[in-house]
Amino acid sequence: MKILVAVKRVIDFNVKVRVKADQSGIETANVKMSMNPFDEIAVEEALRLKEAGKAAEVVAVTIGPAASVETLRTAMAMGADRGIHVLAEGDVEPLAVAKLLKGVVDKESPDIVFLGKQAIDNDCNQTGQMLAALADWPQATFASKVELMAGENGGAVAVTREIDGGLDTVKITLPAIITTDLRLNEPRYASLPNIMKAKKKPVDQMSPEDLAVDVTPRLTTLKVEEPPTRAAGIKVADVGELLDKLRNEAKVI
Amino acid sequence: MSDSQSEGGSLVLPDLLEVCGSALKAAQDLGEAAHGAVKALVVKDDGKIDASALEADQFAVHGLAWFETYVAALREMLAWAERLEADGALGDLESLILQAAYGEYLSQMLGGLPMSQVEILRPIDLGIPVQALIGFAGTSAVMTLSGKGNTASVREAIAEHITHGNYGQTALGDEMLDMVRDQFHRFTEEQILPNAHEWHLKDEFIPMSIIEQMAELGVFGLAIPEENGGLGMGKVAMCVVTEELSRGYLSVGSLGTRAEIAAELIRLGGTEEQKAEWLPKIASGEILTTAVFTEPNTGSDLASLSTRAVKDGESYKLTGAKTWITHGARSDLMTVLARTNPEEKGYKGLSMFLAEKPRGDDANPFPAQGMSGGEIEVLGYRGMKEYEIAFDGFEVPVDNLLGGKEGQGFKQLMATFESARIQTAARAVGVAQSAMEIGMKYAHERVQFGKPLYAFPRISGKLAWMAVETMIVRQLTYFSAREKDSERRCDIEAGMAKLLAARVAWSNADNALQIHGGNGYALEYPVSRVLCDARILNIFEGAAEIQAQVIARGLLSRRD
Repeated sequence: MKILVAVKRVIDFNVKVRVKADQSGIETANVKMSMNPFDEIAVEEALRLKEAGKAAEVVAVTIGPAASVETLRTAMAMGADRGIHVLAEGDVEPLAVAKLLKGVVDKESPDIVFLGKQAIDNDCNQTGQMLAALADWPQATFASKVELMAGENGGAVAVTREIDGGLDTVKITLPAIITTDLRLNEPRYASLPNIMKAKKKPVDQMSPEDLAVDVTPRLTTLKVEEPPTRAAGIKVADVGELLDKLRNEAKVI
Repeated sequence: MSDSQSEGGSLVLPDLLEVCGSALKAAQDLGEAAHGAVKALVVKDDGKIDASALEADQFAVHGLAWFETYVAALREMLAWAERLEADGALGDLESLILQAAYGEYLSQMLGGLPMSQVEILRPIDLGIPVQALIGFAGTSAVMTLSGKGNTASVREAIAEHITHGNYGQTALGDEMLDMVRDQFHRFTEEQILPNAHEWHLKDEFIPMSIIEQMAELGVFGLAIPEENGGLGMGKVAMCVVTEELSRGYLSVGSLGTRAEIAAELIRLGGTEEQKAEWLPKIASGEILTTAVFTEPNTGSDLASLSTRAVKDGESYKLTGAKTWITHGARSDLMTVLARTNPEEKGYKGLSMFLAEKPRGDDANPFPAQGMSGGEIEVLGYRGMKEYEIAFDGFEVPVDNLLGGKEGQGFKQLMATFESARIQTAARAVGVAQSAMEIGMKYAHERVQFGKPLYAFPRISGKLAWMAVETMIVRQLTYFSAREKDSERRCDIEAGMAKLLAARVAWSNADNALQIHGGNGYALEYPVSRVLCDARILNIFEGAAEIQAQVIARGLLSRRD
């Protein structure tokens, strides 16, 4: 079995994000970047399947500028066997990413594609779903548990999903798309020996043109603003005053 | 908010890199003048150092070491900024850090440089000629930087940048090292920081599960060559790992030091058989090592040590008292320095032994024949525990004489000092960073007079200066590591990095505690541990005074 894992380079989750002075976007110059945390979970899950003898190869794929190869390198230091870098500058929107991934899926023919459920930079939560539609494969999103089912025709997987009311377990046949949620696993640390090994692992580079995908954005960003600063609270003297304020100031009742 | 900032302008000085370049040249010239003046005091006409003058003029001699350390620090800060500039990554924060570093250190060189809190070095102490001093002070770049480089407004601007925990780019220029840092940063955040204070308060050993994880991550074999079972990653990588681990807990960062000292001893001084036998076991973490050098009456003056090793058939019998043995009980292999030739009173009579011992615990620390000892309770730097050990006929097979030849012990030990100092400097950088981060957190959380402490310039200014000085010692440490990796002699540079980084770790810890007020004095707050941990850095691996002595000796004998 071959597993493809999609990883994205995003602003590190510890960084306080700043809006550019001209409100055209987010300040990324000299800002620390890391692998999207949900993607780390996706890589970890793929590696566990490999270590359990259920998968033969784990391939990491990323889409982004030249520096994105660092994110691939991290995936390979965790244990992925090789990397694919689709070199694309600028903003690539979820549909374009899904189309590019579809192109990579056609070339690689994986049995499972793992993706983080969303990237922490724009929180779109669309790519996995769109990829499933484009590939016409079954999908299971927000996975908190993944179990391969033996003996099924062509293979199947039981995926437990975190939903509002509790847990939902679905069975899907392979090949399939799975997006990973926070509680699926705890990603490992890349050890120094594996960081060294990752330097020698191969990375294929390709362009959107190679995959015949037009990545021109369809959306226009009008303005990016900081969230409003929360105003200080007040203390009310009694219930009467509270009701009065809720009714006449906040106008919520 | 400063005036110029409220007008929307940056406080970064115009043509900063050029100005710093000119100031550096002036500082180097002044360093030359100091060097010449001190040399006139202590170097005889035949070019040899006069030992009695060296002692009589100790303040000036050690002052020279400090003075040149500042020059080296300024040089490396400019090199750092130039690397960033070349990558198009020199931001406002890094520029402000650079100019503050220059502003402060140039001013201190002229007006008074603290070798310790009670010893302020002034140019007159070095005997620098007045003309040289006037030339330095009158250099326009020096005037600009010492006047405007590190003002309260500049520190306030730095404070605004670092408020969310971005303390400036390290500019290692190596993607792999950045990845190494990321991994160990996360390991420290998740495994060390949540537990370190409890280990400290309970005076417990670092759990074996942590040591096992570190072994799996490759910490102990990091700098050991690949042919000996290590990773051969070099000293810069060692610094990055050490810094991150020490940021969590000094003792965790120091576990690597034990392995590093032993491995360097064996790598540089051992026979092929000894390398093949021990290095892979050290690299894998299978065995833990401890350095057994110091004696009750022999600290910095190692050449006079008195523990005896007497050859008796196929083994040596060791007799004598040792002390300050870090991780003594729980280690498997001791590197013991002992006197094999009693006729030779100095360092030539010393030999190094690779002495195996069974692992002990709190109940029975030294379950071995011919060996006993007890714990020395300490303020900080816990987690491995300190011991005094008595050998009474403790046997070591002759094959375990390092290098297979007597009388080489002192030389073998000296060969490891560069690596040990670099690693210790990196430990100090980690502790300095830790103190700054803890101070920062508290300054944001604690509200007084209706505002977080960070809103008060005396508080944020302290943290801003910590960010500057932590970057200075980080860059000086990386420099010495790069020199080592390039196989250039770097004893002086490594000593400088250790000397200054230890002072900075202490001042960061002291001021981070000050920010906590009374709470910082409570054992409950982690800053109390960091203060105790930071204090050892000025003492171990060469006390600050000996360190300055060694640096000055090197400087005075190097150039000629």
